[in-house]
Amino acid sequence: MKISYKRKSIIKIKAIISKIVLFFLYRGFKAGYKLDTRIKKEIDSWQNGFSAVIETGEKNTKLCITKENGKLVRKKQINNADIVITFKSIDVAFLMFTGRLGVAKAYAEHRFTLKGEINQTMSLVRVIDLVEAYLFPKFITKNILKEVPKKEANMLRTYICVITNI
Amino acid sequence: MYYEFQNSAKILSGDFALENIPHELKSLGAKKVLILTDKTLEKIGTLQTVIDSMSGKDVQIGGIFTDIPTDSSIDVINEVTKKYNQLNCDSLIALGGGSVIDTAKGVRMTLSQQKEDIMDLAGCELINYGKHIPFVAIPTTSGTGSEATLVAVILNKVKNIKMEFISYFLLPDVAVLDTRMTLTLPPKTTASTGMDALCHAIESYTCLQKNPMSDAYATAAIELIRDNLEEAVKNGSNKNARLAMANASLMAGVAFSNSMVGIIHAIGHAVGGISRVPHGDAMAILMPHCMRYNKDKLEEQYAKLLLYIAGDEVYAKTPKEKRADTTIEYVEKLLNKMHELTGLNTKLSEAGVKEEDFDKIATGAINDGAMIVNPKKADYEDVIQILKGAF
Ligand SMILES: [Fe+2]
Repeated sequence: MKISYKRKSIIKIKAIISKIVLFFLYRGFKAGYKLDTRIKKEIDSWQNGFSAVIETGEKNTKLCITKENGKLVRKKQINNADIVITFKSIDVAFLMFTGRLGVAKAYAEHRFTLKGEINQTMSLVRVIDLVEAYLFPKFITKNILKEVPKKEANMLRTYICVITNI
Repeated sequence: MYYEFQNSAKILSGDFALENIPHELKSLGAKKVLILTDKTLEKIGTLQTVIDSMSGKDVQIGGIFTDIPTDSSIDVINEVTKKYNQLNCDSLIALGGGSVIDTAKGVRMTLSQQKEDIMDLAGCELINYGKHIPFVAIPTTSGTGSEATLVAVILNKVKNIKMEFISYFLLPDVAVLDTRMTLTLPPKTTASTGMDALCHAIESYTCLQKNPMSDAYATAAIELIRDNLEEAVKNGSNKNARLAMANASLMAGVAFSNSMVGIIHAIGHAVGGISRVPHGDAMAILMPHCMRYNKDKLEEQYAKLLLYIAGDEVYAKTPKEKRADTTIEYVEKLLNKMHELTGLNTKLSEAGVKEEDFDKIATGAINDGAMIVNPKKADYEDVIQILKGAF
């Protein structure tokens, strides 16, 4: 017996959508750095050379970021990153990327493995939570975040920043 | 809804539990065991009791390491690992409180993964099963529950932070609860560690990963603590109370190993690391304050806990809307009772915390892994307010 065609297609679709969300998440990091003092403060606290990978374990769907000269940069691949978050299944990663599961709950449910220091990861998690608050509408974030943070910039401005990357 | 649950240690609890250790080790394939403990336990004769229980030819004591400090650190783990290899041991016994057991977990992890430096293994569920090293944990306090948890907290002296290692493969093969191990525990330590166990049960009942299994362990532990902590403090030689507290501590450990601990531990770890307040003391002081902070999110769960912490009479008599507050009052009452009986501190200022350290403590607390599973968000300012309240 082989894995069914249906399942294969689902994985493919979930991977494609996850890739798109990861792209926007990265753009969200960068926009957030400009628009939100809390995100800026967190990212400023990371040392140059700091690197993190969020991966789903399927179809090379991952986000690799590193801090170079005070700026966040996306890379295709980072070996031995300081923090590596690996989801145990793409299905749960997909839930998270589509705003149906928060990072805290995913962590509590043991949905991913984590390589690296938990202390350092906490800062990354705070940034992801804040970026999610900008990318997703409130009716979604109120279900996945413990508390919806006050936004320092409106959604339109954020989206312009995210889409145009300026 | 999804949860995971594992409680794989075989539990030997009660009379002559120690004497069954050789049998257990033998059945796990061990022949030569390294015992890890500390100087105090050697001095007061606890170690001797364990050695005496190891008569028989099945398992030989290959070595004894008594130099484990209060905070298990990476250097010590690397040193013990070396000694284990030099002595050709094939199994471990940890005899002590949380730091000895956590050190042993670190040693076992390093050995089973065949690494030289434990730092390579920091994180959650990163390691695979590896080589099996039979491991027996004998707690000598009734509080940390470390004999039943998947976490080891180890001090990184270079960075001055307590690092967490989380893996199901850290769980001991056997956990041994024998009253001879805790009969001589001084009243104040009994109180402090007992409050830690209570805190594990309360936090595991209320954190993000609470589940039907961990709830059952948590509530049963709270009942045992309610009925036995005061007696164990007042009359340390009462074997029944001691065994009940050991069972409670282990059960609370099982509960929080699977549903984790939250804000009380996040702040408590930082208070311990920066102001050197003993873990249980920090838990006892912070518990009511953090519970008040969490209350608006946890009203329902705290209300339910009243049944376990105060008993059915009080629960039935208390109107529904007052139950959560009454639960917190019972925790406070217990803390005050412990203060009255043993002088356990009730305020951070009495425990040696300085106001000028609040900044460092709050920063440490929000970066502590326990904060992520607390159901209510707490940022730097929130922690400062809690610290002020508990000062
Ligand atoms: Fe604790």
